[in-house]
Amino acid sequence: MNLTPDSKVIIQGLRDSDPSLKVALNMKAYSTNIVACVSAGRGGEIIHQIPVYDLVEQAQAAVGPVDTSVILVHPYDVLDAALEAIDAGIRQLVIVTEGMPPLDMVRLVRKAEATETLVVGPNCPGIIVPGKLLLGTHPPQFYTPGSIGLISRSSTLTYEVAQALTDAKLGQSLSVCIGSDLIVGSSFIQWLQILDEDDHTDAIVLVGEIGGSSEEEAASYIAETIDKPVVAYITGLHAPKAQLISHASTIITSKFTQDLHPGTAQSKISVFEKAKIPVASSPSQIPELLKKCLKKTRSHK
Amino acid sequence: MDLLEYQAKTLFRQMAIPVLPSQRIDFAHDLKGLTIPYPVVLKSQVRAGGRGKAGGIKFVENTIDAVAAAQCIFNLAIQDEYPQVLLAEAKYDADQEVYLAVILDPVTRRPLLLGSVQGGVNVEATMFHIQKVVVDQEFSPFYARRLMVKMGLQEHLILSVSNILEKMYRLFVEKDLDLVEINPLGISSTGELMALDGKVVANNQALERHPDLVMLVHEQCSDPAAIEPTDLPTNQPNFVKLDGNIGIICNGAALTMTTLDQIIATKGKPANFLNLGGEDHFEVTETLLQNLSDGLTSVMASDRIKVVMINWLGHQTTADQIAEAIANFLQHQKTIETLPHFVLRLTVTELESTLAKFAGLPVEIVATLDEAVKRTVALSR
Repeated sequence: MNLTPDSKVIIQGLRDSDPSLKVALNMKAYSTNIVACVSAGRGGEIIHQIPVYDLVEQAQAAVGPVDTSVILVHPYDVLDAALEAIDAGIRQLVIVTEGMPPLDMVRLVRKAEATETLVVGPNCPGIIVPGKLLLGTHPPQFYTPGSIGLISRSSTLTYEVAQALTDAKLGQSLSVCIGSDLIVGSSFIQWLQILDEDDHTDAIVLVGEIGGSSEEEAASYIAETIDKPVVAYITGLHAPKAQLISHASTIITSKFTQDLHPGTAQSKISVFEKAKIPVASSPSQIPELLKKCLKKTRSHK
Repeated sequence: MDLLEYQAKTLFRQMAIPVLPSQRIDFAHDLKGLTIPYPVVLKSQVRAGGRGKAGGIKFVENTIDAVAAAQCIFNLAIQDEYPQVLLAEAKYDADQEVYLAVILDPVTRRPLLLGSVQGGVNVEATMFHIQKVVVDQEFSPFYARRLMVKMGLQEHLILSVSNILEKMYRLFVEKDLDLVEINPLGISSTGELMALDGKVVANNQALERHPDLVMLVHEQCSDPAAIEPTDLPTNQPNFVKLDGNIGIICNGAALTMTTLDQIIATKGKPANFLNLGGEDHFEVTETLLQNLSDGLTSVMASDRIKVVMINWLGHQTTADQIAEAIANFLQHQKTIETLPHFVLRLTVTELESTLAKFAGLPVEIVATLDEAVKRTVALSR
């Protein structure tokens, strides 16, 4: 893991006239160390002072070992771009692109597991280390530097929670959105582990939502393994039932998957409560609960 | 995108998965030209499950009965869906019926093979016997054989049924499917196999790289070029109607849920909610602006609406453009006097200049979610 301000970052899929350029410039403005971008057929050009290479391996040869690649290519080219980055030895990938086919993710996940590559996304704003590093598209205005780690699945709700923390004078050490597609590259558990080991993080906020079972898995992992205080917030208490069921027509298969994961907000909240993890009832209640937890841990020390 | 049974069976045929001789029936009188010998089964081609119990499947022995039965099925809605076509299929005597499926499992992030020795309409029995195998690494037929043994299949059936599952898996991967299911797979007394019913769901995000699937689903259209991209189902979110007096518009599904949750927790009564999508890649596209103006129209459509709350989080420049678009939209409404109140929670660059754009309109801008919710609920009283 290298998420320090001087870590080297490349962008795959930078073009000079569309949103990808704004993504790149926004990262640069946050002083992220973008050393190169890769765009086959345009090697040798320079886009806003960023040198362009045809291949990831050529970029690596020129700028030295790269820590992270931020991937902005077309959804059907993401798998290929990610495999190219992994082959060149890059072990941290942030996939911003939306609309990647899930079976492409299955192939990428197999490769990432075999090579111990950390994949964030797809379809996510990535990682921000407030005041230091932006890997993706988080709007910096919601964040201030501090010691709260923030993990969530969806972009704009993360900003809502970040704003609530910032308003309550609780700065953040790192905020990551793992994405809310069916198949995502990294799990809540992976990030809980990373933040538990991170010296700059004193407490963790986990923002969950309806569907799937990643919150349930995270709850038991927190209860068993995490030493730092964790506060959870789960959205979707009043979500209409239909939103939980994607293929109501296939009775058995949907019954099977629902039996595995009931996935309602209520069921997720009760799992956290059983594991004695405080659950906030609104984004603005998160700072309150955090302050209580932090007070407790400090008085224990 | 859900395929109909006869479309799924077209794919099965391409993969050499055995299916019965069948014929698509567009009108009841088509049955006069039926080429399959009687007795036949007529099946309603709807996406809903439970067709048999609903009366959408009938056995017929001759043309007169068949035409009458077809008319009856054409006029029968199953879960609000009327069939456009029927499938006439040869009758089959199965000795045993099993269930097979391939899906994606978000927990293991791998394809999952499912099987049950009890297939057919008895869902409880199928569920009771269900077995699963995770395809952890690159697929190889042993994964399918492993499921056969777990299901309790023996002797020659291990190889013959796993061969079908292998083909289903290949179809699943080649066509980027969310689901392929055969239920039931009939097994005759001589051990012959037959896919008696099938379900295929194609992944919407991958549709653009499978024009053949799109064609298959739209083959009823005489002119394939006439298929508009808008005919394709998308993940584009959703406008949900409830029965209160507060309209809600947000960007992002989870943010929409949170806003809805907070309004209800504060004893407000939402009339509807709309998610305009969470992506915020620094650019306000024409599509987004169109969705916003369509969204405002639908959210305000109900007479009961007293307040509309818009919770929009993103980059400041985007928020500025969104504020401008909302102001434009409201200024172009015929009667400003009858507009509902608007509570905007927008992270704009400059509050003063943004407020000026809303001069003369019943609009206020607030900084936090709690404040916005409080104001909205108060105004709805």
